[in-house]
Order: sequence, then structure tokens, then C-alpha cells
Amino acid sequence: MISLRGVSVVIPAVRRGDADRVLLRDITLDLAERRIALVGANGSGKSTLLRLLNGLRLPTAGTVSVDGHDTVKEPRAVRSRVGFVFTDPLAQLLMSTPIEDVELSLRSRIRGQRERTRRAQELLDERGLGHLAHQSIYDLSGGERQLVALTSVLAVEPAILVADEPTTLLDLRNRRALRRTFAALDQQLIYSTHDLDVAADADRVLVLHEGRVIADAEPAAALAAYEEVLV
Amino acid sequence: MNAHSSLLGLYEPGQGWLFRFPVGLKYLLLLLVTVPPLVWGHWGVTVAALAAVLVLLGSSGIGPVRALRIGWVLWILLLVMAVYHLVSFNPAAAVVQSGTILVAVLAARMLTLTTSTPVLMDALGRALGPLRWVRIDPRQVALAVALMIRSVPYLIGSIDDARDAARARGRDRNPALLLTPVIVGAVAYAERTGEALHARGLPGDD
Repeated sequence: MISLRGVSVVIPAVRRGDADRVLLRDITLDLAERRIALVGANGSGKSTLLRLLNGLRLPTAGTVSVDGHDTVKEPRAVRSRVGFVFTDPLAQLLMSTPIEDVELSLRSRIRGQRERTRRAQELLDERGLGHLAHQSIYDLSGGERQLVALTSVLAVEPAILVADEPTTLLDLRNRRALRRTFAALDQQLIYSTHDLDVAADADRVLVLHEGRVIADAEPAAALAAYEEVLV
Repeated sequence: MNAHSSLLGLYEPGQGWLFRFPVGLKYLLLLLVTVPPLVWGHWGVTVAALAAVLVLLGSSGIGPVRALRIGWVLWILLLVMAVYHLVSFNPAAAVVQSGTILVAVLAARMLTLTTSTPVLMDALGRALGPLRWVRIDPRQVALAVALMIRSVPYLIGSIDDARDAARARGRDRNPALLLTPVIVGAVAYAERTGEALHARGLPGDD
């Protein structure tokens, strides 16, 4: 379970006399549900909150812990438990081809090179990407890249998957494919989205507004509160 | 940005003998082709090395079109060097200097076009094994080298992107204007690479 206690994130003012910029204010949450969605306007603090969950960003005040491991004091333990999927898969893919990228994730688990290649191909096949294994990542569509990025992150077998607006760059078909993939995952999934249908797939929805959680409920009630804030 | 503009190319599995050749021997082959033109500095040796590396690649199913797809930036650089020596009435230097660089790049491509990055990383990790004596993990060094290789097509592509952006604003005549966006882009790329490693828990407990 992920716990946040009194978490704030503040960016100090660059010029004297200006006010500090507060990205998140005094957030206390326990995140235990299997599917949790974050919604909110641009700049509401969704990405900042998600990045706190695997230590990509550290809190200015308060603590964030994953299964009891503090993100500041035990970053390696947190990293190995929480995988992160970015909005733009090109920012996530580290190797030139899908199979090499998945192999990179498997490197510390499987020492034998042939076994690693076989397993990477197997993981790509499971997601229907096997035929793209040796293509350049620059030659893949946005949806294919996002699925490859997801496969690479899942290859390290994290207990929790955090995804920052994973459907934003996808067309309707790829969005549906990703939703089906997410629905079938064994991992706890915490994601942000602007798509209310995708948010409605969750067990719990958090609504962020100006760095605060203003609604925290099951999807119907939370999304109604969100629409009220937007209007 | 397209990886095909990459200096070092993209590995695709093949049936040629170089694909089956042990990676250690490929490194040796690379040295055998690149060192003689560097040491002798004679145009004949350079031409022979160039022919040898093209024959090696061709005999493994990598024809001259794919072998010589090294990106326009390097071709311009080689051309400028050659033209400089030709107008200085030194044609031998034109062949030796531009040719030796081309031999080195093609020899490197002989390795990268026929060997997957994970195999190269494993081989490098084994070769750097003695670093453990000074408490440096060779697998992490191999990972750093692989990421550096991966960054080459990105950085070449970022020059194209910066040029396109300058052209869109009608300011493409001064190459110096490309410098700042390319450097800023390279720093941002390094930061994103760090985050991408972090996102999947790498480097792990190797």
C-alpha cells in the first residue's frame, strides 16, 4: 500500500518578493484499491502526485511510503516495487528496438543472453507485439510504442504500476486496447487521465484542484464533483 | 527523427556469417581493419581497408547502400575535409583523412549492424570484469556505454529538429543558432534517460 502523510511540494520563488509556487498542499492519503484514477485540470498537481509515488519527485514536506519503504530513505526498494509509465513512450524507451528494450528490463533477472531474448520475445508476443520486435522504435505508431513501453516496465515485475496520462497521445482504437490491457493487469494501477471514461474504469477516483484533493470517492460521485469544479 | 539516420545503424537479425561470429572476434576484426590505415597513413592502405570492410559487410548480406547509410552530417564532414585537402593540392591526404574516418565508422557499423545491443553490453561487461577490483560494477559501465550508443541517433536527429524549427521561423541561415537548442535538447534527453531508468527500477541489484 502507498501512504502519503502531510505531503506538500513547493517550488521556491526565483526572484525575491515573488510567492513560492505550491504544486501540492498537505496531502494525506492511503492508496490501497486495485485501480485508482486521478483527474483534474492541467496544472492541478496530478503528475506531481504520481511522480511522488515512485520517488521520481521527492516531497518538500511530509512523507511518502510504499509498503513501509520511504521514498526518500529507501529509493531503491521503492523503485523496484513501483513501475512508472510516461505520457510520451519515446521518453521511456531506452533501446533502439522493442526486443532490446524489453531485454534491458530483464537484464538483472535473467543472466543468460539466449534465455533473456527468448523471454523478451515471449513478453512481446503476449501483448501482440511480437512481429514488431526488431523494428526501430521510431517506426512504430504511438499506440505500439505505448504498449512496448508498458511491456518493458512490466518486465521488471513491479507490484504497483503508475501511469501518467497514458492514453493522451492515443487514438480511439489504441485507447481501447490500452484499457483492455490495464483491465487484465495483476498489478495495482494508479493513473491520471483527462478521459472520463478511462477514469470510470477505476475503483476509486481522486479529483485534484490547485494542489489539493477536493474529492475522493467511487467514480460516479467523484466525476460529478470534478465536472462541477470545471464548470 | 529516424533511427536510420543513425551513425551506427540498427541491428536486424540476419543469416550472414558475421551474425554468427563470436562478438569478441568481431571486436578483433574491427581492430584489424581500423588500425592499419591509422598507423601507416598511406592512401593505398586506406583504400584497401575501405574495400575490406565493405567486402566483410557485403559477404554477410549487408550491401553498400545500407552499409553507407551513415547520416548526412558525417557525409558533409567527410566531404569538407576531402575538398579542403584537394584545393590544397594534397589528394593523398584527402583519401587518408576522410577515408580513415569512414573505415572506422564502417568497422563500428560492422559490429552494431550484426550484433544486438544486449549482446554487446554482455561482452563489454565481461571484458571490463577487472573493474570489480576497484569496486566499479562493469555491468553498469556497459549499460552506460549502451545508452551512449543509443543517444547517437537522437542527438543527430535533434540537429534536424533544431534546423526545422529555425527554418519554420525563417532563421535557418546561421548554423550557430542551432547550437543552443541542440545543447538544451541533449541535457533534457539525459535527464529523461535517467527518469526512464528510474521508472523501471534500473539499475537493479546486479
